[in-house]
Amino acid sequence: MMLAQFIAPGGSADARNLAFIWFLVGVAVVVALSRTPSQFRRHVVTAFTFSAGLLYVMSWLWPKPAAYNPSQLPYNNVESVGVKIAEGVTMMGSILQVIQGVLLFLGVYSVLRIHGGRLTKMRKDWQYSAALLVAMFTMIIIGYWDFYDGRQNPNVLSAENWGFAQYAKDFLFDGLLQTMDAAMFSIIAFFILNAAYRAFRIRSVEATVLLATALIVMLALMGGVEYASGEFVKRVTLEDPGHFFNNFTLTSIRNWIGAVFQQPSIRGLEWGIGIGALSMGLRLWLNMERGLSS
Amino acid sequence: MIAQYTGGEQYYGTNWMQIVLVLIFSTFIILNIRRAEAGKRSGKHIFIRRIAGLNAIDEAIGRATEMGKPVLMVPGIGTLSAVSVQALNIFGHVTRSAARFATPIRLCCADAAVYTVAQEIIGEVYQSEGLSERYDQDSVQFVSDRQFAFATGVSGIIHREKVAAAFFLGEFFAESLIFAETANAVGAIQVAGSTQNTQTPFFIAACDYVLISDEFYAASAYLSRQPVLLGSLVGQDWIKMTMIAITVLGVFGNSCERAFTKATEGPDKKVYATPRTKSASELTMTKFVSIEPVPEKMVPKREEKPDETPKTEEGAE
Repeated sequence: MMLAQFIAPGGSADARNLAFIWFLVGVAVVVALSRTPSQFRRHVVTAFTFSAGLLYVMSWLWPKPAAYNPSQLPYNNVESVGVKIAEGVTMMGSILQVIQGVLLFLGVYSVLRIHGGRLTKMRKDWQYSAALLVAMFTMIIIGYWDFYDGRQNPNVLSAENWGFAQYAKDFLFDGLLQTMDAAMFSIIAFFILNAAYRAFRIRSVEATVLLATALIVMLALMGGVEYASGEFVKRVTLEDPGHFFNNFTLTSIRNWIGAVFQQPSIRGLEWGIGIGALSMGLRLWLNMERGLSS
Repeated sequence: MIAQYTGGEQYYGTNWMQIVLVLIFSTFIILNIRRAEAGKRSGKHIFIRRIAGLNAIDEAIGRATEMGKPVLMVPGIGTLSAVSVQALNIFGHVTRSAARFATPIRLCCADAAVYTVAQEIIGEVYQSEGLSERYDQDSVQFVSDRQFAFATGVSGIIHREKVAAAFFLGEFFAESLIFAETANAVGAIQVAGSTQNTQTPFFIAACDYVLISDEFYAASAYLSRQPVLLGSLVGQDWIKMTMIAITVLGVFGNSCERAFTKATEGPDKKVYATPRTKSASELTMTKFVSIEPVPEKMVPKREEKPDETPKTEEGAE
């Protein structure tokens, strides 16, 4: 109920008013914080971090309603608190989205400052900066034009009613950007080949083991070679399913390597990362993390 | 027998084990942080083993200084999280060494929030070293938040500026090999570490030094020797030992239970005269750590919320 006062349908006049009020509140908070002593500011940040963290911790610890539908009344007090926490987490997500949006402006400002400066001072490689800025502004203008057209007249969203903005956006986004992304992705194949060549050179015992393992796995994935190895094993075992030599088809060896060596190693690595993240998260939440720069 | 519904699905069955374990693990970490702080006051220092990738940091910066080329740092393409904060912490240390030798740095970000925090950290490092005049604001830059646009931008920087050392620490995905191979092509020393297990093999194949798994999180403790970080590292070791003990106990317990006990109840819940060997899901240790779905009969019948939409008069708009 309390949250309902701060929520309005998207695009409505109420939403615009609320956005404006919250924008003013945000500016006031930033100005107030920037004028307070750094010691006090640290306390404010610590308190905010702890409260936000506590909300997420509670959302994990507090019992979640089973198969709950927002149109239903909570079953008991435990559920009521669970629903409130879930609403709080949703609201926190919205706040984070707004912060991300504001920070994106800082990112764009960084791009403009670096490349704009290089262009105006005609520093080395200024041509690349010019190309980047032209591409960025063209994309922004066409993107907003297309968005605005769509809001004004939803009919333009179907391909037969496309206008200039829609064709231009399609050409720039799907025709150029996506294609260039795909080109960069496909380059990885060549990089893999190069890296594999260097990694598999026999320089040490470890590299030799790596090479032998990779060879088995690669051969097991080649249909023809895998078939030939299967046929060879069949001849040796005389197609007796209980014969011990059945364990030596390329597929069996590959599966054994995967199940006995690869999976446990990956699980071990994931455990290490998980524990490290838990430890780091605790330090950040409880304000114990001082960083290496301090 | 099905437990009474209390309003919490994650407490049904044995899923409470997750919560108990996390609380125990968190206690281990906090307890050891306190121990490390007390140890520092009494002059007892915690020993941690050498990490080759971190020893290489000074070597890489020294090489960049000799060559007069920049040091490149990339905190991955993830958003602002514990991973990127950890990466920026290590970059703070790298920057401190680089600042002392007046070696130029380049820190490229793919996320606007990470970029903002990176700017703060790097600026603070120069300030704390009393070398604010050496800080170039453009050395920390936001490149793009699109994966391959970012990969292209960073590769361009590596090629154009011929970086002498490259640090790739954080969350990396398909672009990891593009960075590593490009830096290798210009002859840069590379130190990498990713929390993405799918990318670690690529880094191992292409980079000079790799921080594997939790070495990435141990790095800050190794570099700073702060009691808080050393203590949490010891706490992490306690957690690992506990998990090893649980695993051994699970293997032993399940093996013994399967060998020496039989189930008389069949999968259809009927009791049979001929006992059978228990299936994996019936074993005590498996039940102890696995999650059971909430049975339908546990979901309560709730009342619908009253309709609060204002009613309009018939025919009115």
